[in-house]
Amino acid sequence: MSTEPTAFLYPFIEADERDAGPLLDDLAASARAKMAASARLQAETLERSRAEIAAAGAAMAERFGRGGRLYAFGNGGSATDADGTVARFRRPATGHALPATSLVEDRAVLTALANDVGVDVVFARQIIAHARPADIALAISTSGGSANVLAGLAEAGRRGLLTVGLCGYDGGAMAASGDLAHCIVVRSESVHRIQEAQNAVLGALWVEVQAALAGTRR
Amino acid sequence: MTVAASPVPPAAADELATVALALGRRFAAGATLWCVAPGAPHHARHVAVEFVHPVVVGARSLPAVAVADGGDPVDTVRLLARPGDVVLAVGPGDDAGLARLLRRGPAWGVRTVLLAEDPVPGIPVADHVVRVGEPDGGGALLAYHLLWELTQVVFEHPGLLRESDAESESEAGGGACVTCSDEGRLAEVRSIADDRTAVVLAGGHEEQVDTSVVGGVGPGDLVLVHAGLAIAVVEGAARP
Repeated sequence: MSTEPTAFLYPFIEADERDAGPLLDDLAASARAKMAASARLQAETLERSRAEIAAAGAAMAERFGRGGRLYAFGNGGSATDADGTVARFRRPATGHALPATSLVEDRAVLTALANDVGVDVVFARQIIAHARPADIALAISTSGGSANVLAGLAEAGRRGLLTVGLCGYDGGAMAASGDLAHCIVVRSESVHRIQEAQNAVLGALWVEVQAALAGTRR
Repeated sequence: MTVAASPVPPAAADELATVALALGRRFAAGATLWCVAPGAPHHARHVAVEFVHPVVVGARSLPAVAVADGGDPVDTVRLLARPGDVVLAVGPGDDAGLARLLRRGPAWGVRTVLLAEDPVPGIPVADHVVRVGEPDGGGALLAYHLLWELTQVVFEHPGLLRESDAESESEAGGGACVTCSDEGRLAEVRSIADDRTAVVLAGGHEEQVDTSVVGGVGPGDLVLVHAGLAIAVVEGAARP
């Protein structure tokens, strides 16, 4: 491994490596360890945030009940998680189909805003254009510090939307602000493991929303 | 405390290791990774951003592209992929549309990987099939995250980045002659030369084959070729 402190003394060893067997064993062991770590973090997060997720789900259901829409957003991998969440709300395998929109879906809008004004406003300006007070803003960030995500949440808060934020590490500025109605922190230092746990939280949120709606609509 | 069970079965770790090594080798040789997830295009986009703009500072940017243009992915990947590239699909293991895409890998000379959600049939439709559990269970996300992480490790072993000749050769393989059990190669019909000859793509290379045994074939049909002769039509061109 290149992490060996003496590796610099033997640079030829890795270049001459021919047998892939040991590497394959290492890779498989690493995959198993990461799979276990991911499952542990998900379970811990769901356990620790159980009450917050239930409260957020109930509040979201109340907004949907008032005709509200869900706006989901984030950057990079979190943008795709926003897309996936919107798809789950719009086209559930079972349960109620609910009005949800991804603020990363329209590249004409995204590139126009990023080019003409700046990347910090790409979500806030869409909130200004679309949102009504009964709506929901669902923000996904691993760092909790993305300026455009924070700006989108701030704008949503000013307009009376229900604000729900998912973040990682120690929660970053998103958790520190104290402005969100609901903030769920995945306590990890790995972006990958954070996203995996956030995906579980998003699934749990959807379940809570559906359960709350089933209770009120029956 | 909830029991922490991984959505991806632990047995899939070995296959993920194999795929990571193959992927690292292909990238080292100049491949592009084509990502396809017709039912859930956000997965394809997530894989692409993972490789192109890694979250770990200093990690190399690798060419991965989400195929999510709304068209038939078979047409798009056929047009864009070069021999030696890799196609990674995410979706149900029994998805007929994905099978139709992945089966063409040997004809195009591309390596195929399926992150397969349940149910997964016994007959593999891709070079590598990684079981990722229930749809929406988080297994696909976990699997492509692991694939990215493991591929980074492979790049720390430059001596292992060259593919063996045997591995490169295997790209041309696929299937066996139904009449003599000898080796057969999958090929995709490109054009019809005359009423008994077609130009096909096999292992990413064009060649002429005799089609008099199988009769009328058309562009896009997948055929089994043996000794310069198309001996069976594996799959028609049309979308099911």
